[in-house]
Amino acid sequence: MRNRQETFALRTEASIWQRPIPVAAIILLALAIHGPLLVMQLPATTSYDANLHIFFASHYAHHWFNPWNEKWFAGFSQTTYPPLAHQWIALLSYVVGLAEAFMLVQLAAVVLLAVGAYRFAKLWVNERAASYAGVLAVFAGSIAFLVYSAGQLPTTLSASLYFLALPYFYSWCISASWRSLLKGVALALAAASAHHVTLIFGSVLFAAPVLWLAWYDGRENERPGAPILGRGLVFAAIAAVGVGVVLLPYWIAIIRHPIEQMPIPHASRSNFLMNWVYGMNYFIVPYGALILALPFIVIKGASNPRLRVLLLAFWVTFLIALGGTTPVPRWIFGRAFEILTYERFTLWATVLALPIVGLLVAHVIDRFPGLGAIGVSTAAIASLALAMGWLYWSPFRTSSSLNVDSVVAFLNRDGHDQYRYLTLGFGNALPKVSTYAAANSVDGEYNSARLLPEMTRYGAAQLTNAKFFGVAGMDSLRAMLLHANHYGLKFIFVHDPFYEPLLVFGGWRQVESYDSGAITVWSKDDAPPARTISSDAVPAPWEGWMWGLLPMGSSFLAILFAWLLVEPRRVQVEPRRAHEGATLPRETPERVYASEVRS
Amino acid sequence: MKRGLVAFLALATVVLVAVAWLQSGGLRQHAMFSAVTPEEAVQALMSEIQAHNYQQAYASLDRSSDTDLASFIRDVAGSDGSLRTYSSLQAAEVSPLHADRDQALVRVRMNWSSAVGSLDDVRDLRVRRDGSVWRVVWPKLALPTVPLQVVAVNYLSWDVIGRNTSQNWGAQDVDSPKVRITSMNAIARPGRVVILGEVENEDTVPAYLNVNATLLKADGSPIEEEGSFDLISHVLLPKQVSPYRIDFPGVRMDAVKSVRMDARALLVPASADPVISVSDQALSKDGLNRNVLKGELVNQSGRPVNIAQVLAAYYDNSGKVIWVSDGYVDQALMPQVPVPFAVDIPDDIAAGLKNYRVIVNHYSRLSN
Repeated sequence: MRNRQETFALRTEASIWQRPIPVAAIILLALAIHGPLLVMQLPATTSYDANLHIFFASHYAHHWFNPWNEKWFAGFSQTTYPPLAHQWIALLSYVVGLAEAFMLVQLAAVVLLAVGAYRFAKLWVNERAASYAGVLAVFAGSIAFLVYSAGQLPTTLSASLYFLALPYFYSWCISASWRSLLKGVALALAAASAHHVTLIFGSVLFAAPVLWLAWYDGRENERPGAPILGRGLVFAAIAAVGVGVVLLPYWIAIIRHPIEQMPIPHASRSNFLMNWVYGMNYFIVPYGALILALPFIVIKGASNPRLRVLLLAFWVTFLIALGGTTPVPRWIFGRAFEILTYERFTLWATVLALPIVGLLVAHVIDRFPGLGAIGVSTAAIASLALAMGWLYWSPFRTSSSLNVDSVVAFLNRDGHDQYRYLTLGFGNALPKVSTYAAANSVDGEYNSARLLPEMTRYGAAQLTNAKFFGVAGMDSLRAMLLHANHYGLKFIFVHDPFYEPLLVFGGWRQVESYDSGAITVWSKDDAPPARTISSDAVPAPWEGWMWGLLPMGSSFLAILFAWLLVEPRRVQVEPRRAHEGATLPRETPERVYASEVRS
Repeated sequence: MKRGLVAFLALATVVLVAVAWLQSGGLRQHAMFSAVTPEEAVQALMSEIQAHNYQQAYASLDRSSDTDLASFIRDVAGSDGSLRTYSSLQAAEVSPLHADRDQALVRVRMNWSSAVGSLDDVRDLRVRRDGSVWRVVWPKLALPTVPLQVVAVNYLSWDVIGRNTSQNWGAQDVDSPKVRITSMNAIARPGRVVILGEVENEDTVPAYLNVNATLLKADGSPIEEEGSFDLISHVLLPKQVSPYRIDFPGVRMDAVKSVRMDARALLVPASADPVISVSDQALSKDGLNRNVLKGELVNQSGRPVNIAQVLAAYYDNSGKVIWVSDGYVDQALMPQVPVPFAVDIPDDIAAGLKNYRVIVNHYSRLSN
């Protein structure tokens, strides 16, 4: 201890270890780490949902103002899913192609998420700790998990926009800066346009703590609390109206057809203690080395009054992210527990924890300058490496990399697109077929939009994965095959011989075989050409125009405001972080030393 | 405040995790695997089978079981590409039949999710006390051996040549085989209308057949269209007759004025091989006291049949088809090895039936 004191005492200027990491360096790091992985198009081959989002984007690329997509479920409305991420992909696809456009938007989301984590952390802790939070976001296992395993582009994009909006929300509440109000609202609308669930839960889990923080800081600066809370409510009201208008077609769709289908099992709702693989997949891998920091997060968050609400928000989000491992999400969401999936809460819990973890990193580096930095870096890299390695070690395998060229070629020739088709055993390769084939399918990967009774009554997800849902899945498949003639379902592509007996006994004949028998084509000879299945879920033309203009417009508006409405430096509020012994003041190594001696 | 909050968060987390563990059946699972009652022993065994942990399941059996690991796995997981190999245990319902101090008899009703739908299997298992725990006695699977022999294949087969491969599937530039619906009977069943009867291939070439029915209202407008799906033999050799059944769930008979039948046939290559004989057919009751038609299937050919489906047509005094039922056999049909089957018959049908006829559909991996 004495030696360490002597070492610190020799310093007269901030060492390189004690300086904040510049935002530009965080951005470059995010580009350096995730850029190559996305250039390799990893999510398209390893993730569950990347192909789904590319499929949605392909529809907008062809029919920007018509959200009715006939390629799945004999017709469904894409107004059931906020479109911003898909429309950006569609827009960029005109220049670089669909898959590449997806990767570009995903890269932007990852970079913005790192910056968002940094800016959000800056509300709570000092510049240096916040910069560590930004860096750690680049390596966070939960982000890697969502990007490369789950493929949840809208969630990551929405979270990044939302975390970028929160500092403006804080600034508006504290200083009544109209520039902050405009930028904050525009970013919040863009975030909602990317993923509505993030905004709904974010309002409670992220915005409420920030509003409390504004009130707390205002009180510390002897400002009255009522105007601060009032401005918070004004912001919320404007954002609510804005979201109501921008996503109006979504609200219409969800009110007209609320999700009443049988719940579909999802592993993130499991009790992770009862199945270690799920625990690994949804807890160990996403949190990584952050698990080691949990005691510090709780102790540090509890010891500092300014961080307590952040700690509570983290704790609640953390409990929800545990799915069925605690009863909390079931208590909070009721029946909706069976509709939601919980991996995205892990991402939010991570970002909520990062400000406090940033403090921990600063603390460690101060005490052990070289070794601490190496240790922290190793832990961060190990977290990312674990998430990437899990793509290979995980027993859950996606079929995203399946070569479907032969299937697409079959469907696009000889008028085969007059009929509907089904894939069996294709897993996440189904959207790839749907993206590039002209024919329509009765199946689809987006469960919330399904209205066909053959799918909604059984509690199983995609027909292509029917066997994984046991009796419910096979009954659902059987019901669909029974009504093959009604839907004009003539062709079935099989990539798993498991399904062959049902087809043989049900009246299908094998007519083609591709890739040395890996994919077989089955035909029902008496199936008539597909006809349009009437639905009351078709959006009105004006909804299509709204859907095509407003969400994209909100993102352009956010970019425009961020570009043009520069905050004057004099109105920037410096929170009272420097008064707290728990955090480190900027560029004051002597006080760091004193702080260390005290501890 | 600091310590209190830390303690609260830690304690609350632990309590919440414990509550969820109990809610998820953690305690029940713990008790089940401790196997202190005969039912728990069977449930634990079923749980291991459900999780495909066959080695652990085998290790939990009583030592007096005369089975070995390989036979046990063949029994519960299937072999030779049988339907059981396409199945996984979905649920098991356990009920005690008899118990004394050291032995018990437990009935387990297994529900399997299979490639062709849900299958039920009922077994009565003997359970023995072994110290403080109970263990299941699993009987050895009896596998009949067939002496080495040569089976001559001299059954008829038909090939189709000269087909234009560029044309659309299902469209052929030859006349379709002549098939005829020889009987049609519409009956009302609880919650549905059922159309059943028989169809015959009257041609001299094999036909691939699908039968559809459309229920019509009094004004001739359709109520609903359905197909026979797997309640028919799709491949009909010349002069062969198949029963069919088409269900219309949710339709009331009084709403139906007429029925439009549509039998579409396609010329396909076909073979009479494999021939599967049906023997020892008899009406009886199963373990659950349900009416069943029992019998044995024997594969007379030289190649295994992986999955067999028994399709039975039941006739009344006048020779009219009054019901068609089916059942899948979960064992593969190995050449010359008899395999038992049983198909359900509704009680009211069983009371009125005079005669029955059984045909067998099959799926063999090699032939597809």
